[in-house]
Amino acid sequence: MTAGAKLDELYKNRGVRAKELHNAGAIVIGYFCCFVPDEIITAFDMVPYRIQGSQSEPIDEADAFLEPMACPFVRSCFNMALKGSYDFLDGFVAPHSCDTIERIYGIWSHHRPSPFNHMINVPHMQGPSSEAFYRSELDYFIKSLEDWSGRKLENGKLIKAVSLYNERRKVLRELYDLRKSDPPLVSGTEILKALVAGMGIPGAEHLALLRRYVAHVKERPKPRKDKTPRIFIWGSEIDDAAFIQLVEECGAQAVMDDLCTTTRSFWEEVPETTDPVEGIARRYLATHCPRNDVPQKECSRISDLEQRYGYIKKFIKDWAVDGAIFYIVRYCDTCELEGPDLREYLNSLDIPVLMIEDDYSISTIGQLRTRIQAFLEMIG
Amino acid sequence: MEQREQQGKTAAVKGTDMARKVRGMVKNIYQSAHEAKQAGGKVAYSMIMSQYDEILRAMDIVPLPTENFAGVCAAKRQMDRFLLQAEADGYSQSLCSYARIGLGFDSLRKEGSGIPDNSPDGGMAMPDMMLGSSSVCDPRYKWFQAAGRFLDVPRYNVDVVSPPIRANLEDTRDYYIRYQKEQFRGLIAFLEKQTGRKMSDDRLWESIRLCDEAWRLWYEIDRLRVAVPSPMPSQDHFSIMAAAHYYAGTQIAVDFYQGLYDEVKYKAANKNGVVPDEKYRILYGAGLPPWHTLWIFNYFESFGAVFVIENVYRAYDPVEVPSSVQDPVEYLAWRTFLRVTQWHEKASARSGNPYVEKLLEMAADYKTDGVVFHACRSCRASTLGQTHIKNLLGRYTDIPMMQLTSDMVDLRDYSESQWKAQIGAFIEALAARKRG
Repeated sequence: MTAGAKLDELYKNRGVRAKELHNAGAIVIGYFCCFVPDEIITAFDMVPYRIQGSQSEPIDEADAFLEPMACPFVRSCFNMALKGSYDFLDGFVAPHSCDTIERIYGIWSHHRPSPFNHMINVPHMQGPSSEAFYRSELDYFIKSLEDWSGRKLENGKLIKAVSLYNERRKVLRELYDLRKSDPPLVSGTEILKALVAGMGIPGAEHLALLRRYVAHVKERPKPRKDKTPRIFIWGSEIDDAAFIQLVEECGAQAVMDDLCTTTRSFWEEVPETTDPVEGIARRYLATHCPRNDVPQKECSRISDLEQRYGYIKKFIKDWAVDGAIFYIVRYCDTCELEGPDLREYLNSLDIPVLMIEDDYSISTIGQLRTRIQAFLEMIG
Repeated sequence: MEQREQQGKTAAVKGTDMARKVRGMVKNIYQSAHEAKQAGGKVAYSMIMSQYDEILRAMDIVPLPTENFAGVCAAKRQMDRFLLQAEADGYSQSLCSYARIGLGFDSLRKEGSGIPDNSPDGGMAMPDMMLGSSSVCDPRYKWFQAAGRFLDVPRYNVDVVSPPIRANLEDTRDYYIRYQKEQFRGLIAFLEKQTGRKMSDDRLWESIRLCDEAWRLWYEIDRLRVAVPSPMPSQDHFSIMAAAHYYAGTQIAVDFYQGLYDEVKYKAANKNGVVPDEKYRILYGAGLPPWHTLWIFNYFESFGAVFVIENVYRAYDPVEVPSSVQDPVEYLAWRTFLRVTQWHEKASARSGNPYVEKLLEMAADYKTDGVVFHACRSCRASTLGQTHIKNLLGRYTDIPMMQLTSDMVDLRDYSESQWKAQIGAFIEALAARKRG
């Protein structure tokens, strides 16, 4: 089986490999968002599993326990947990990444407790004291895992895990580089599948697959240049390829992105220091999640936007982006507040923006087709 | 049709004389900010319950609580133009409506180069800075980041951290308090830069003393409210909270609560109840109040149902900071930690949920017959978890519970006929339980 086919299979059958490992005696730790370090879980010889929802399954049980004005991604994940889809998890870890995740921790661990349950408090602010606090929270997480599992975290193993995941980050960036050509060698749909596939398997397995996959993509014949608009996708949790596929079906190339499931989760490396937890704390706290408060350096709107979105400017330039589409999952307050600011910033770079708020459901995605087509016509 | 008839009436009839004086205090919040600006003083957009009130007072910075302004707009039914402006600017209708009103106001101010005409209570003065926090919810720091689009003033946000319920407090206390202290130190450094003045520890201690005294009196007032019949209803709470939150760290708040304490004590001693015939005692379980329709409390009263206590906007009971703490900033950090962990031990021992423990204690102490929750469509922080709390409460008590849904300020999420139907059924349930 080719690496691409294997990634596709893993994407379609999420959880299968983790269940297999769990049944063979491995400890699988499920977690939300981009703030729980895979490195720490891996260094314990456990399997990190990023919890995902399902945009194709209706939320039919969660509403008895959780209000419908909660983020539909979280409601979907919880709905799946209630139906037993996450019974294979030996541990459940929620970071305090936003109000909804913070709240779901207590509800989830009450109704579907795993043998190990833990919440990591993630500072909303950034700076030396926030880094020190987050580091303490990670130390407490490590201590809790040690107490529960009876295993002792070895510094050497953690250093190795940092190298492993940095290597994976490097290969993923290499894959992203293959989107720079016009047209790109690999589609946004394929990229999303390759990323989501890796969220439920050990990092080493994902890395091996990605290496093969990148080599395969590099061998693809170079397509002829076309005038298809090159789109940057920004938003929150997209773990189903349907939306990006829709954008591409409408006649665009999704060439770059900044989503919880994509660059946000892997782009920057963990500094490889003798004290690996310190490097991990610094890297994870700097995640470009809209829930973070990036402090002002000076009182100026231009400087503030630059401080917050300067990294996106590089994406726009290096991937030759023509336009941006925001996919905001409804009730995500931090994205809702961030969207208009980022639109202002991108407009200042002459990048037109289509801002979409949606329900994390493929049943509503079809309605977006006309809006996307109109937008692409406008920028085309 | 029904809604149109009620268009002019939003406020509730209060139960105490002191609560009737609050309107003037609220007006003064905005007036004093305008006056401070004219006198060359500093005004800060602020968020209540950020634990930094005394620092602002010690530095003579006038706090301008932006969420309160949204509540005032709703109570006066003057929120629509601000909400619509924010939505036209790209903010979703599902976003916190407090934030939408604030952003809409600032947007209109920028567009018109001045305070929008006929703004409630004279509108919010142009702030010199914006001070958000992560206390309570995400929009309370993200909002001011977004407001930079309309206001060219510096912003500073602080973290307010709370350990998870099942965290071992022995393991976490030191670094939580250390971080909290460093966050406050960072804020002080920012304020000193903005004002060009050093903060005085003596003034901070004095402000802390006044704040603690006001909150102690408020707590004592609430303890008096266990009396039957109820001497002070929840609609009064939603007015009198202004003193503790918007005048924190001032003598004004202390004097106000002393007066209220005396009045409530007198009413309790003389069995002077809110309604002549108190049939049902209701606990306001959770959720921000419907500022647009506070008269609904009087509607309940028409059935003899009085809201006797509530679990919102007075989040903490008094705490005792160790006497070894000699630094006022460390005191604030300690007090924050003790406040946010007050119910951890009880929650860990039983339900796993601090709100459930608190509500159960309130239900017993205040002899309540039912619990009402208010789910606000645009407020994640006060709404998510209500259903879970209700489910858990049901394991320990058989009193009827009801969840009303609308929004704290956005009237478009409110349906009077639906509420009245729900309230009617709820009163029936209360009556049936009384009959046994």
